[in-house]
Parts: sequence; structure tokens; C-alpha cells
Amino acid sequence: MTLGRYALMACGDDALRILCGPGDVRHDLASMLTSDHAWLEVVPGRIDVTVAFDPHTHSMNNAHARLMAALENDPGTRRRDQRVHELVVEFGGAAGPDLAPLAARLGRPESEIAGMIENSPLQVDMLGFTPGFAYLAGLDAALVSERLANPRTRVPAGSVGLITGQIGLYALDGPGGWPIVGRVLSPLFDRAAAQPFVLGAGDRVVLRRLTRP
Amino acid sequence: MTLIALDPGVQCTLQAAPRIGLRHAGVPASGPADPVSMALANRLVGRAPGDACLEITYGPARFRFGAPVQIGIAGASAPVRVGGIPREPHATLKVEAGEEVGIGAATAGARIYLAVAGDLKADEFLGSRSTYLPAGLGGIEGRALRKGDALTFEAAAPVAEVTTPDALRNPPQDSFALRAVPGPDLKDSADFPWAETFTASPRLSRMGVEIMGKLPDRHDAGVMPSAAVFPGTLQATPQGHGFLLLVDGQTTGGYPHLLQVIRADRHLLGQVRPGNRIRFLPRTQARAEEDLRAKQALLETWLPGFRL
Repeated sequence: MTLGRYALMACGDDALRILCGPGDVRHDLASMLTSDHAWLEVVPGRIDVTVAFDPHTHSMNNAHARLMAALENDPGTRRRDQRVHELVVEFGGAAGPDLAPLAARLGRPESEIAGMIENSPLQVDMLGFTPGFAYLAGLDAALVSERLANPRTRVPAGSVGLITGQIGLYALDGPGGWPIVGRVLSPLFDRAAAQPFVLGAGDRVVLRRLTRP
Repeated sequence: MTLIALDPGVQCTLQAAPRIGLRHAGVPASGPADPVSMALANRLVGRAPGDACLEITYGPARFRFGAPVQIGIAGASAPVRVGGIPREPHATLKVEAGEEVGIGAATAGARIYLAVAGDLKADEFLGSRSTYLPAGLGGIEGRALRKGDALTFEAAAPVAEVTTPDALRNPPQDSFALRAVPGPDLKDSADFPWAETFTASPRLSRMGVEIMGKLPDRHDAGVMPSAAVFPGTLQATPQGHGFLLLVDGQTTGGYPHLLQVIRADRHLLGQVRPGNRIRFLPRTQARAEEDLRAKQALLETWLPGFRL
């Protein structure tokens, strides 16, 4: 593999962007660059990874050379260990107030929609918007939904949002514009932990339906 | 010792050193919107640049101290009274037990920093005490101060009284010239209207400030793949305005990233208030590095350990 498959570009005067395209390569590159400890921030986007550096210790040219060397050494083809999270979700009702209207619009029972979500091969595409908010790709394409016309000012932590092609998991209470179909029962955030957010970019996720005894 | 917020004003938060290395998890840096002014306030009371301070927005605000203490005030231009007597900012001020510190409405600039000669107690989250209001993290229960809040601090030994050197006071003005390099979504520097004067709208917070003015037409506004953004990022919004991100701004965004205010000038963003005028000055990478070195060298003469 050569460096030729990536384009590098400046992102301001203290950050560089690697245009690597979508998919796992972003997570592999981010993992490699994070373990390099040369970068203040390593932030995966939809089709890129951006690294921030300290301009007091590195010039742009210097940082660029360093990034090139890191990419030549490991162009993101070494597979990371992929974490899998199985999260139990209470679908519908007060935990997922938008499931019933979604079911009515799609003409499918709520239980069928929950099953389609459970069987979707979900993967954390990136985190952003608010702390720990996880964008999950891989949702069954038949589940078509737009954002809410009127975003909610407060969505509880653990809420499972759904728009076409994507699931959004809210790690914290906060504002939210995605229709909410359920809630993860285990916390996605632990402020006292060294790694306070349960999910990371690239992780696989299964949203398991709560089965009541 | 205690510091009582008699009236914290429209928004007063505890800020300290920024939270670094968490943008991949959606956590912005927070910390002071104007880190130079916070470092200057801390310097007046012998504290390090990133030690915890109160960030007061606009003023007026009033505080009372339970014991004698030294304080330092810097940032937006606002009248200061200690025990009812007018005093100057940018000087070590002595406050007696029970005395009130009053900060009037700022006449220029947006944020005033109040430092005390002591270690303000606050919640720490991932290595920083800085308050991040949208998620309720750090500071005082993750929120802005309320009337009657009592903050405690460990008083330090009195320091020699000092005043900020004139060359570093740089009081905020009503117009800003921000040096900037092209952002990743500006194909050619010549595509940006560098001659345009923008006006800060009332949509302004620690997350960012909306600016009104003529920007290049972007048919791709809002449909770009989300990518990392930083404090100092100028985005073009679908409404045709600009949005300049500040220290609490989101970590990723899908609007075109037109400019990036250079590292050397990002501290100025914390003093922009609605109605202020903003121009951008084009910089190459090489010039941006020179600008950073020059400002850093000046600040280091008075603020040891401070990094822009």
C-alpha cells in the first residue's frame, strides 16, 4: 500500500486532515495515530481523520512530515481489535415515544421494527454533536424516517434515535432532533471512569430487545 | 475561605485549563473563552495561567469574600468597585473580609475574569475543572453560578502587588481584525471576500457566534460529510451566514469550513459581543507561524508558562 491513496490537507494552522474515505480505514488510522501520542487530538469524520498538533513545538511542515512518516509506516491496514457491545434496549412506550408513529407510517408492527433494528449490523461511524453522541451506520434501509420537525429540548441519556440509515445513541441528557424509538438500559457514560464513554468509533453494536420475564 | 456570588450576572462560570484530547468523543476543550485575559488576571495574584478563575459575561456582577484576600481582574472593559470604592483592573487588589467586589456592565468586550489568590474548589472531569455547560461537566456542578452560591478556596500566601504592563493590556474594541488561513472547504483563498466587514449577531455564546455579511454562495451548505471542527473555525450556514466556533463549540460539523482563525488570534473571539464588526485578514501558513511566534514572545515576557 502506498501513501498515494490518501490526500493530506491543512485544517487551519495547527491541524492536518487525512482524506481516506469512509469505512474501517478511518478507525484503523485513528487507532494508529492515537497510539502514536504525537497528536493533541485525533478526530475521525465521515470520510477523513483530522489530527491537531501543538504549533509551539511543530511547524506545519514538520507536522506534515511526521504524519507522512506515520502513514508510510502503517497506512491503516493493520486491523484493530474490534469491540462489540450488546446493549439491551427498551423499545416503544415512554422509553421510545416515536416508535408508535413510525410503525404506523411504515405499516409494520412495533415489534417488527424493533426486530429489524436488533438484526441490523450496526457500527459506530463517529462520535460528535454532543459528548458521547454516537452515530451508528448499518441500519436496515427499509426503516425510513426524517428528523423531527420540532427538536426536543431534552432527550434522556440512553435514548435511541432513528433516521434513515442511521441510529443515534445519546450518551447524555440533552437536546435532540432525532425520533426516539427506545432507550438503552445500561449507562453509556460514567463520569468517574477513565474512559467515560462506553462507545468508541469503529465499535460494533447490537441493540438487543428487552425480554420481560 | 469563601467567595459568595451575590449576583453572578447573566452567565458566570468557573473556567480553568482546557480539556484536551477528547474531541473524538464529542467533548470540546472548554476553558476560558479568552485565555490571555484569564492568564493576565491569574498573574496579578501569582497564579498559573490555567488556574481556576470566574468568567463573568458582560457584567454587572457582585461577589463578597468571607476573609481578606487578593484578587485580579482582566478582560472586557468594565468599572470595578471594591468595598464601594472605584478601582482599576489589571492591578493586584486587596479585598477585606466582608467587602463586596462589584463589576459594572462592560463597555467593550464580553468577558471579564476574576482571579483570587487561592485555589478555587470545583468538580474535575477528565483532568480539567473547566465548566462545559451543555453537558453539565466540571466547574460548580457543571452549571453557571447562581445567586447565593458559596465557592470555597484555599488561600495562598499574599503576593507582591503588581500591575499588568501597558503593552499587554490590549483592551477590547468594537471591531476585530482576525488573521485567518483558508479552511479545508475553501478551494482558493481568492474565493473569500476578505474586504467584507461582518457584524456579530445576538446569537452568541461560549459555543460560537453567528456573523452576518456576504459570504460566497455555497450550494453544498449542510450536505457535506461531517468532519472535525475547532475553536476559530468559520462555517457557512445554510441560512447564508457565518458561524465562528468558540471553546465550547461542537467537535464535528457538516457545514463548509471556510476559514480557520489562526492560533495566535483565537483568544480574541472570547471578547466579541453582538453588534461588533469583524474582518478577516488572509494569512499563509508561514505568516501564521510568524504571527504566533511574535505574540507568544510578547506574552511570555509577563506570563511564564502561558501558551497561546
